[in-house]
Amino acid sequence: MPKHIVRLVLIIVAALAVAAIAKPLLTVDSFYRFGHYRANSVPEIAAQEPVYQTPRYCYGCHTERRAQWSAGSHKTVICEVCHGPAQGHPQNGKLPIPTDTVRLCTQCHEAMPGRPKTQPQIQVAEHSGGQQCTVCHNPHSPKISAATAKVSGDAAAGKQRAAACASCHGAAGVSPNDTWPNLAEQSAPYLARILTAYQSGDQTDPIMTPLAKDLSAADIQNLAAYFAAASCKAEAGGKPVGDAAAGAALAKNCTACHGEGGRGGNPAWPKLVAQKPGYLINALKAFRAGLRKDPMMAGVSRGLSDSDIANLAAYYAAQSCQNSK
Amino acid sequence: MSKDSKPTLAARRAFLAKLGGAATCAGAAAGAVALGVMPSASAKTEAPATGASFPTKDYDWTKHQWGFGVDATKCIGCLRCVEACKAENDVPRNAHQFRTWVERYVHLEGDDEVHIDSQQDPVNIEAAGSEKTYRFANRYKDAKVYKAFFVPKLCNHCTHPACVQVCPTGATYRTEDGVVLIDHSYCIGCRYCVQACPYGARYFNEEKGVSDKCTWCYHRITKGLQPACVEVCPVGARIFGDQKDKQSPISLFIRNNRVQVLRPETGNAPNVFYVGIDKEVN
Repeated sequence: MPKHIVRLVLIIVAALAVAAIAKPLLTVDSFYRFGHYRANSVPEIAAQEPVYQTPRYCYGCHTERRAQWSAGSHKTVICEVCHGPAQGHPQNGKLPIPTDTVRLCTQCHEAMPGRPKTQPQIQVAEHSGGQQCTVCHNPHSPKISAATAKVSGDAAAGKQRAAACASCHGAAGVSPNDTWPNLAEQSAPYLARILTAYQSGDQTDPIMTPLAKDLSAADIQNLAAYFAAASCKAEAGGKPVGDAAAGAALAKNCTACHGEGGRGGNPAWPKLVAQKPGYLINALKAFRAGLRKDPMMAGVSRGLSDSDIANLAAYYAAQSCQNSK
Repeated sequence: MSKDSKPTLAARRAFLAKLGGAATCAGAAAGAVALGVMPSASAKTEAPATGASFPTKDYDWTKHQWGFGVDATKCIGCLRCVEACKAENDVPRNAHQFRTWVERYVHLEGDDEVHIDSQQDPVNIEAAGSEKTYRFANRYKDAKVYKAFFVPKLCNHCTHPACVQVCPTGATYRTEDGVVLIDHSYCIGCRYCVQACPYGARYFNEEKGVSDKCTWCYHRITKGLQPACVEVCPVGARIFGDQKDKQSPISLFIRNNRVQVLRPETGNAPNVFYVGIDKEVN
């Protein structure tokens, strides 16, 4: 074989040998373990910590919210969708409570071409007049219609049954006592809802609970129909201790649900017009203390002082119910 | 070349001859050593012990084959998935780099053209108010819309991924459980893969100098969680699960629906299955 060919072959062999030595030395151990990649990068990627923690993490502490949320129509929307990822919470502080709910809620609920018909959608400009959504809707259980079941009772039959209520609430639903609420002209769906709540134990009262337990479903409907149709006579009941003028300013926050002057808006919620001030004070304090449970009222009553409550009660007590229907 | 007897030339030839000899010797020695080294090197990469699961001690990737479903008939275009993905995976908070995104397809009456936009459209960025939050502008509110729908998009985690084929360094690969991942420490930032993907699922992360894309939240699914976008979707438009488990959400989704994949003609064999999309979606 010519000398130069031998040299060429030797050089090629040498190059191959160098490559054969260099490759295992330069390739990281795990590279060809499963294929043409570094196997150790898989556990590295898998080791990253999750940022979104899932509702199960949130339940650990927020049990009350869980019950409310999981029963409502927002149960498919996990906590972290609105409150942000929970990684580092609670150690690193609180998660945000959204303040601009109009913006947040319309992200899903603004009427928009392309959204499926099954998605509840609103015309933003017409729906609330710029009010925050949380004024009327509880974000953890937003459906309102559940509370406004239609009342189809017989007022005459209700009047018979109402005799048992007369000693506290007055024969015609106008209470003779500052502590017990007027029922005349109260919203019927609200009355039915509250009576059902006493019956089921969702709301408790030493006097009302046993009384409500004796009522049939038809009785509740009839009573609600009777009191809703009863005429409201604005009688001064007890001396309000608060300042009605100061209460008027505060009451602006209540009109979205309870109507102007407490004359009623959505029938799901009670009218407050000409209500007994003593009763209003007790009710607000009960909401504030968590003794009476309502997610919306718990939120709005939390920031009220004793004098705020007295002023609000004085304001509503002073309203004339003659204009309400 | 003529036979020149210049001393320099002779010296050079002598040097080359010596070098050749040395290389031969080295080569022979190296060959012998290499035969010894190679098996020992490959032995080192063997699984540490039989029965140990990979990639983590609680998760064995041979027991899973992941799949993803998109039910476009349910999507409301709220973009919670996009925001969750950005937070979960440290994706740059801007309006042009996404691991997942949502497209809107709108047909107007008397107009043959389909209008397509996603959250990175300038009109939608303006509606969102910043490039850090995402929102679809209600731009077709007063238009005569004949047909409209939203389509979530993400990496298809193809069975035959073009992006993996073109990677020159082995920085991207398909795992045993069917997820296409990127080894950021091996990525040299050449962006071949970004070009190769027929779905535009990859983006280049300038901060890190590497390509990036959806991992189906590999760090979550290997811990028994759902990908973040699936977790936050309020309407169940995103479905995820193990195709080996015949009762998993994705198996039921594929079985109970007429599903399709995007661009089947490319031969990539995607593993994201769609329901409720038109021919314009690809």
